[in-house]
Amino acid sequence: MGAKIIFYLIAGLMILFSILSVSTTRVIRAAVYLLFVMILMAGFYFFVGYNFLAGVQLMVYSGGIAVLIVIAVLLVHNIDHRMERIPVVEYLWKGGVLLAGAILTILTINQFPFQRIAGTEDVSVSRIGTKLLSLGDGGYVLPFEVISILLLAVMVAAIIIAKGEVYKNEEK
Amino acid sequence: MGAEAILVFFIAGIVLVGGGALASKLLSPKSTNKDKWEPYESGMKTIGPTWVQFKVGYFLIAILFLIFDVETIFLVPWAVVMKKVGLVGFVEIVIFIVILGLGLLYAYKKGAFKWE
Repeated sequence: MGAKIIFYLIAGLMILFSILSVSTTRVIRAAVYLLFVMILMAGFYFFVGYNFLAGVQLMVYSGGIAVLIVIAVLLVHNIDHRMERIPVVEYLWKGGVLLAGAILTILTINQFPFQRIAGTEDVSVSRIGTKLLSLGDGGYVLPFEVISILLLAVMVAAIIIAKGEVYKNEEK
Repeated sequence: MGAEAILVFFIAGIVLVGGGALASKLLSPKSTNKDKWEPYESGMKTIGPTWVQFKVGYFLIAILFLIFDVETIFLVPWAVVMKKVGLVGFVEIVIFIVILGLGLLYAYKKGAFKWE
């Protein structure tokens, strides 16, 4: 019973903040509402017992990406600019289309006979760590090392774009 | 059991924070004045828009922070099983950190940490 209340509480708040995020007229507020949605998503992960994933969600998404988005918003020229307020009629029709899509998706998903598979319920951090660094069967050591190369590529690309080296060279 | 505890925690949080805000709203002295909306109540009147564009440098720092944030997240599972995986795991982690360290070196060389 209590679990159901928490589920609907989190889901309701997430829907509320998502709608606020797309309907607000100020950019910075939209970014902050998105941050709330991400934190509530972490709440969901805690709720279903994926503690590590919840930590990742909190640290990377709400701690990193949301901050990145806020800073990107702060970089725009005129932050005082207000978006046009959307007329109610448009809300209703876009909302209707979204609702129809949601109903279709839920009905389709419910057609699939989901089954609980035994033996995969342990998602503790130590199990993740062992699998991540294991060289044997079912180990993920190669993807793990490839991630570092991916991050390296991201870092180099970010520096090149932010420092504007490419454009400087073209000007010469 | 666990769910109810979380629910009680949630309600207690709302009551404590909301109650504090409500009490402050009810008890605090009120003063309505147009100058209260100014950034500096006792300073000069601002002329024109007060918005200053932020430096792009902040964005670079944010991206670098994000990358090392992700790195930290990947270090956590290793830290939990550090003793179990032993030397092999340690070598793997060192490779991981060295590759990212190269990126840090590149950032340093390109002057990403210089504040111009």
